[in-house]
Amino acid sequence: MNGQPKVLTERETPRTPAPGVGWEEFSRELVEFFASIKLAMFLFLFIAITATIGTVIQQGERPDTYIQEYGENAYRWFLRLGFTDVYHTWWFTSLLGLLCVNSLTCFYKRFPAVWRSMKQDKLNVSLAFIKGMKQQAEIAVNGSKEMVAQSLAQYFSQKGYRVLAKNEADEVTLYATKGVLGRVGAHMAHLSATVIVLGGLLGSYYGFQEFGVCLEGQTYHIPRGNFDLSVDKFWIDYHENGSVKSYNSTLTVVEGGQQQMTKTITVNDPLVYKGIWFYQSSYGDAWDQIEIARVNIKDKESDKVLKTVDLEWQKEQSVDDLKLKLAITDFVADFAFNSAEKKVYSKTVEHANPAIKLAVHERSSVQATPWIFYQFPDLFEIKDSKYQFELVGYKPKKYTGLQIAKNPGINIVWLGSTMIVVGITLSSFIYHRRLWTKIIPAGSGVTVYLGGTTHKSHIDFQKEFRTLTEKIRTFST
Amino acid sequence: MARSLFLFDMTFWLYLAALTLYIAYLFARRPSMALAPAGYPADGFDERDGAWATQLGQVATLVTVFGWIVNTAALFTRAFERLQNSGTFAPWSNQFEAMAYVSWAIILGYVLLELRYKIKAIGAFVVGIGFIAMGAASLLPYRYQTAEPLVPALNSYWIYIHVSVTLTSYAAFAMAGGLGMMYLFKERAERRGSTSRFYAAFPDLETIDELGYKAIMIGFPLLAFGIILGAMWANYAWGGYWSWDPKETWSLIVWLIYGAYIHARMTRGWEGRRAAIYAVFGFLMVIFCFWGVNFLLSGLHAYA
Repeated sequence: MNGQPKVLTERETPRTPAPGVGWEEFSRELVEFFASIKLAMFLFLFIAITATIGTVIQQGERPDTYIQEYGENAYRWFLRLGFTDVYHTWWFTSLLGLLCVNSLTCFYKRFPAVWRSMKQDKLNVSLAFIKGMKQQAEIAVNGSKEMVAQSLAQYFSQKGYRVLAKNEADEVTLYATKGVLGRVGAHMAHLSATVIVLGGLLGSYYGFQEFGVCLEGQTYHIPRGNFDLSVDKFWIDYHENGSVKSYNSTLTVVEGGQQQMTKTITVNDPLVYKGIWFYQSSYGDAWDQIEIARVNIKDKESDKVLKTVDLEWQKEQSVDDLKLKLAITDFVADFAFNSAEKKVYSKTVEHANPAIKLAVHERSSVQATPWIFYQFPDLFEIKDSKYQFELVGYKPKKYTGLQIAKNPGINIVWLGSTMIVVGITLSSFIYHRRLWTKIIPAGSGVTVYLGGTTHKSHIDFQKEFRTLTEKIRTFST
Repeated sequence: MARSLFLFDMTFWLYLAALTLYIAYLFARRPSMALAPAGYPADGFDERDGAWATQLGQVATLVTVFGWIVNTAALFTRAFERLQNSGTFAPWSNQFEAMAYVSWAIILGYVLLELRYKIKAIGAFVVGIGFIAMGAASLLPYRYQTAEPLVPALNSYWIYIHVSVTLTSYAAFAMAGGLGMMYLFKERAERRGSTSRFYAAFPDLETIDELGYKAIMIGFPLLAFGIILGAMWANYAWGGYWSWDPKETWSLIVWLIYGAYIHARMTRGWEGRRAAIYAVFGFLMVIFCFWGVNFLLSGLHAYA
């Protein structure tokens, strides 16, 4: 090194108009632009502003929802600008991409200097360099240069500085530095943006997120994992005051005919098998099964209720005194009939028009399977029967809504997250300080030339510098 | 329930008293600038404050500390009550408790600041914000103030750490906002050549500016940590670490706003007036993130 002030090269070099625009010029301008703080601030604020859109306008709704609320014209603009799914539009993603480019270029441009300042010796500086610093002082001290240098070095290392020293015939040079980690931290945070985005991309390309409606006692094949999942049980726990305490599903993973694991999942405790996560996400009433139904048996002639029976799902039950055998064989929550296929089905998942199919054996002469409607009790009638059946109530089977997700990028996202938190913390609480001292004999004593620089927290550094100069004055006594 | 609500109420009144005392202190104080021409030395003026300014200042500090202790006791009592009937002890499980926790953190931050820097004038602003937070909490309807059992989505150990870290960052930003306001008042007075002793009692602009910046430097990493803890929780409870839920998005927005500030300050020399205005603006955004989102926008975080 030739005593060239290093600090200056780290600052943004003033642009000089170059004759002709060569590639080198152009690429330097490009790096300059993409590494600039101006761009970073623009991106931060612009992302912040555009991100508000999605919190004000409901995202991913059906067209008529928007038309109703904002009108057709506005909706057309929403579509054009992607306001119905802002966070996945090309322009919003590009902003995030630009932020990555910005922070990476900044790393590329500025980190080498930080690295150098960690590695290289900094002792070959000129007196003019020290005198030219923002914080500098000249102090006359009694004593030999070695003695002063020693007590100064001691003081520096007491304060946590790393000290380098060089003793020459006519001067002693000291270099003291502290807190370079603060700058390393800032760059770590810069890199983290890209790491997080990469993790996110990986997740969205190789991961999936699905929703499954599962009934108790059923086994479902999970094609993405090539194993089966059986839902053993679903139930809800309540607090004393009646509010919900937890939703629970007991799940068993079956692979190759073998039970691999059983776990009861709750809202905050998913099951993980082979990187696939099963979350307790919702629940509801099944639309094609019930647990139990209550049926009134009425006498046709007198229209009096003879008996009320509770029938379990698909279990035949005898009513001996009336010489009846009853069973519920089917259920639909919202009755509809497909005349082409001659099939009954549930139009929606809502319990809008529930009906049970009742298998009736009377004496051994009458057999029928009428649909009994909850809302229209008199719709069906069995001709030869003495009885009329009425559905007075039922308890639907609950289904459990499982969120099934796999995200192979998640660990990369956590890596980036750790980097950002550690990086920001380091750069918030530690700042890089560098001090150069030359001790040159003058008259009976020595003159201490002190200069220092920091990349931020100038006021703290100023105070520290002032204390330091006070301290050096005491060396003379 | 009644016990903790009584203590929260008491906290409110104590903070009001502390705020009043700090403001009175500002008026009573004879600052160094006024004393210097009268032949007093500029340094060590604290002992030479007006006849009862020193006492007022001491009482203000005592009342603040006492209020903070009562606030702590209220949070502990609430934690016990929660433990008995809601399966968690985190005393920040609804909007009311969260507000009470934020004011606790603000006042703690202020007391530490006063201990370290011995500047009482800041109390008029920062304790003021702590008081407003507590007051806003007590304005909530009674049904929001009780320790109802947690909904299943909140019933997790993540609530201890995610919520407390995020709320602490809000408190830091609140302090920065208070200091920003203080800066703007003082700066305006100086610009107009005001000789009012009220303003002269404030610490110098550079100090206010630096303290505000420090508060943001504490809030910024905390908010980042809080957001990431939230993402981890979401990954456990919702099946994805980020779903652009309004609360998530708004906390990111707030973080980006402060991120821009930190970059601007470091390299473009955003200090003084501009930084102060920005700190106040940032704090308004925090308020929206904390309150506005819960009451104006719908989303997964709408628990209050």
